[in-house]
Amino acid sequence: MGSCDPIFLSCFLIVALPLLSFAVIMIFTWRRHKLSLSISLTCSTIPLILAWSLFYKLHNAVTLAKPIITQVNWLVSDAVIVPFGFLLDPVSLLMLCIVATIAWLIQIYSIGYMEGDPGFARFYADLSLFGMSMLSLVSASGMLQLFISWELVGLASYLLIGFWYEKFSASEAGKKAFVVTRFGDIGFFMGLVFLTFFMKDLNIPGLGIFDINGAALTHKLSEAQVTLCALLIFCGVAGKSAQFPIHVWLPDAMEGPTPVSALLHSATMVAAGIYLITRLFPLFAASATAMSVVLVISTITLLLSSTIGMVAKDIKQVWAYSTVSQLGFMAMGLSAAALGGSTLFAGYYHLTTHAAFKALLFLCAGVFIHHFGTNDFFVMSKDGGRKLMIPMVTVTIGALALAGIFPFAGFFSKEAIMAQLWHLPNKLWVGLGLFGAFLTAYYTFRVIFVMLFPRKDDNPVWKEYYVREPGGHGHGAHDDDHDGHNGNHGVPWVMAFPLIVLAAFACVLGFMQTGLEKFLLGESHPHEMNYLLLVLAVGSALSGIGLAWLDWGSPAAKWQGFIRKVPVLENFFIQKWYMDHFWRWFLNTVIYGTFSRIFTYNDRRVVDGGVDAVAFSTIGSGRLLSFLQTAFVQLNLLFMVLVLAGVGLYLLMGR
Amino acid sequence: MLISPLMGLMVLLLLKEEQKFLIRAVSLVAAGISLGLAIFVFVAYDKSLGGLQFVEKYEMVKTFGIAYHVGVEGLNAPMLLLTGIVIFTGVLTMWELETRTKEFFIWILALVTGVFGVFMSYDMFMFFLFYEIAVVPMYILILVWGSTRKEYAAMKLTLYLMAGSGFIIPGILMLYAASGLNTFNMLALHGVHFSPWVQKAAFLLLFLGFGVLAAVWPFHTWSPVGHVAAPTAVSMLHAGVLMKLGSFAVLRVAMYLCPEGFHYWAQLMALLATVGIVYGVFVGLAQTDLKYVIGYSSVSHMGIVCLGLATGTVDGLNGSVFQMFAHGIMTALFFSSVGYIYDRTHTRDIHELGGFSKIMPVASAFFITAALCGAGVPGMASFWAELLVFIATVKVFPINGLLAIAALVVGALFALRVVQTTFFNTPNPKFEHFEDVSPFLGLPRMMLIATLVFFGIFPQTMVGMIKTAVIPFLQGM
Repeated sequence: MGSCDPIFLSCFLIVALPLLSFAVIMIFTWRRHKLSLSISLTCSTIPLILAWSLFYKLHNAVTLAKPIITQVNWLVSDAVIVPFGFLLDPVSLLMLCIVATIAWLIQIYSIGYMEGDPGFARFYADLSLFGMSMLSLVSASGMLQLFISWELVGLASYLLIGFWYEKFSASEAGKKAFVVTRFGDIGFFMGLVFLTFFMKDLNIPGLGIFDINGAALTHKLSEAQVTLCALLIFCGVAGKSAQFPIHVWLPDAMEGPTPVSALLHSATMVAAGIYLITRLFPLFAASATAMSVVLVISTITLLLSSTIGMVAKDIKQVWAYSTVSQLGFMAMGLSAAALGGSTLFAGYYHLTTHAAFKALLFLCAGVFIHHFGTNDFFVMSKDGGRKLMIPMVTVTIGALALAGIFPFAGFFSKEAIMAQLWHLPNKLWVGLGLFGAFLTAYYTFRVIFVMLFPRKDDNPVWKEYYVREPGGHGHGAHDDDHDGHNGNHGVPWVMAFPLIVLAAFACVLGFMQTGLEKFLLGESHPHEMNYLLLVLAVGSALSGIGLAWLDWGSPAAKWQGFIRKVPVLENFFIQKWYMDHFWRWFLNTVIYGTFSRIFTYNDRRVVDGGVDAVAFSTIGSGRLLSFLQTAFVQLNLLFMVLVLAGVGLYLLMGR
Repeated sequence: MLISPLMGLMVLLLLKEEQKFLIRAVSLVAAGISLGLAIFVFVAYDKSLGGLQFVEKYEMVKTFGIAYHVGVEGLNAPMLLLTGIVIFTGVLTMWELETRTKEFFIWILALVTGVFGVFMSYDMFMFFLFYEIAVVPMYILILVWGSTRKEYAAMKLTLYLMAGSGFIIPGILMLYAASGLNTFNMLALHGVHFSPWVQKAAFLLLFLGFGVLAAVWPFHTWSPVGHVAAPTAVSMLHAGVLMKLGSFAVLRVAMYLCPEGFHYWAQLMALLATVGIVYGVFVGLAQTDLKYVIGYSSVSHMGIVCLGLATGTVDGLNGSVFQMFAHGIMTALFFSSVGYIYDRTHTRDIHELGGFSKIMPVASAFFITAALCGAGVPGMASFWAELLVFIATVKVFPINGLLAIAALVVGALFALRVVQTTFFNTPNPKFEHFEDVSPFLGLPRMMLIATLVFFGIFPQTMVGMIKTAVIPFLQGM
């Protein structure tokens, strides 16, 4: 305990250094780009080293059942005691390393990407803040600390998404991300509070759910209580991990600089929700009802986002929707595991592999966007996207991993999730899961084929697809600075290096499945190979790619998705299932239009008007009564006599 | 501490209008001494001992049992610190004032004297006296140095508060008469067990009377109007400190002396507070004047204070007093940033200001920090305060608690909407020539932010202090 404990100290440094860097840059060095960069890099490299050394030192010492907890009291009120500390077990150790690594790679990458941006220093400050809150989130020892970091992640993402704040769409997207996730967080918070009270009622010793390990005790609660709490907490998960119906912020969050998208959509922000489910797995597993709801919602999410991904033209949009769909996969895996009495491994494993290959895909997209000044992959294709060797190769590796092709990482983790779904009594879920995998392969390779095999310049399809939007989309003013000298530089080394590292991860992570499982769960389950399922899964992925080849890849392809044959459906997908419309309507009509208007009207007319009416009636009655003061002595006398007479009469009558 | 603003005031009376620098320096020194003393008291207060410390007591009018009786305990130490910080930064904020400088600082120091007096007094008569001293200068300050409909606002504010006093006096006299002790000493009166009927009536009178100043719904309409009209430092003091007088008085007088009355009316308090919280954010959502926006956010935040009080639990009161402190600092930051922007551009319309971040990054950063604090972002003091209040409320009044928590979403939307329209998007070319905040004028804002962050990271320093008073306070009820 205290500062003498080396584990506490190193955890503390991991969390505190990025915060320090944020503060220093924001207050002192925000005008000095180079200095800020070096501060920020130092403060992300040290945590990286510390995280890996902790991992190395402790990976044999901790298990899920026996974590290392170091904490101090942060706030001691009466019933509310908030500890501040760190909980290290396999789940958090691994996540700590992933987050530290990805955050570090992104900082390296951004040296090239953000070069020359006027807000360069601010960008690094925000990245540091984000790193700090995410690292503290994964290592938090108490639920409340987790919630606080959770909120800070939201704040940092708000700042990063709205980084180019002069652009209306960017600041709007930042606001949307913050408010929508806040919407879920409220549920999370209520769930926490309720859970605390329910636990208190049972006189369970300790701090109740404020201690994360309290989750293991939740099976002592009644079914209804657990279901309520689990569902409320799932609201928070849905907000952060972009599950239906509050996934709408995530695609818009692409307004931020691309490194931000990579950071938010790979290892960190969106992963936080899934991480929370794994963290509270015993709680969720205790309620079958809640888990069924999660299963349904995640399946809807998977299908919705895959179908939208099929028609998007913006490369970042495609990746964003693929993120949403993969998150759906993870949630499906976890909920199926909970329903089937299995372990959290499958979902968590997919989280790990996804972190690597999705960061890779976004960073590749970033290289293209940086180079061509557009987000539209059709334009990239025509302008010679395939000539950029390193990103083209790595993006293909990432896509293969995403589609779940052997031997890349996604294959193994998806397989593990499918196995969980397979164990459910109702085979509908595994069918839908396979369908989702098929769609994933299709939309991923739509992008790859379009980029790899552009049509000839005079081909009529360009009329439809080659539309350079003035001012760009998502990249804004920043790009215009670069257009001038784009021609002569290839891919900067600082940007290529993270790509290669991540591509390597995407290749090797798949073969570490057994080792990871052993590390996470303490034992490795013997794998009974389900060949039927294997064939089905690979088959659906391959048929997805095959269909993409027919539609987009082969020389004879007409560059029309098969979905074009059902225009109604296509339009429905292009309009993003009308979810944005629905929320916009909700906000405009219900919040602004109804409550806000009525309350304001009420405030002006009724409450305030009432007061003013009292004031004016006082003045008015004063005027009225001032007729009495006419300065005519006779009149005054008359009134006096009349009043006196009245009083006299009253007294007489009263007797 | 009480003496130093008074001394400053006396010195100011002797100075001439022309000696502007001297006037400012004297007021700053006077405020600085108060701040120093407030920090000293806060730090030197012995938490392990608890109770009333630094007591001074002089008999004043024996016949009626009036005494000058001041002291410090865990409840008012944060309030004194708050007042010290706000007045110090307030004087710095008004450094550039040119018109009638002398009178302005004289009145503002008079006001602060009253505020310090209220927070420290343990004699009901002196309490009320200081209360009125704090309220009256407001009228003049708004009327002379104000803007936008200042006559209307000043008149409205004063009449409102006087109407509040109209409730308070009968309440105080009722308790005084019913005790039969011939003393205004609150500690002595606390020992008296009043009959339930007296308690209920007196509590209602006192709650309504002080509630007006705390902007309890539906008596809040004076506050946005008043904020809008008042000059910057006055808005800061007004929202930052004066509104706290109301809630502090509810705690110190009404709840302390009439515990049964409190239990009887707690439901009503919680209801009004919840309505205030929800209502404030929704109305604020529709405003276009920056100061109106802040005014309504104050209504909402003061609702949280009242909600905490209404729970009558240790957590609730801790959170409530913490929230008074945090909100005071936060609003002061809000108004001082808006004041700076208004001084330069002469507009507070959020649409007209659009894109201000490009023009004045530092000034905007101050406002954005305050807005995020208002949205309840962790790492700021108000997060902890709200957390404590909400947890306590869900336990005592589940429905109200859930409504209040749900209002946080709208609160976030509300804060971000303002930030987005005012500071992001494309800059308005009209204002492009303005310069950013100089380091000297940035200093008071930095101090306020530092305070918010300090107590956001180390909440225990504050909660530990408040707790020393809250626990015996509730045991006495």
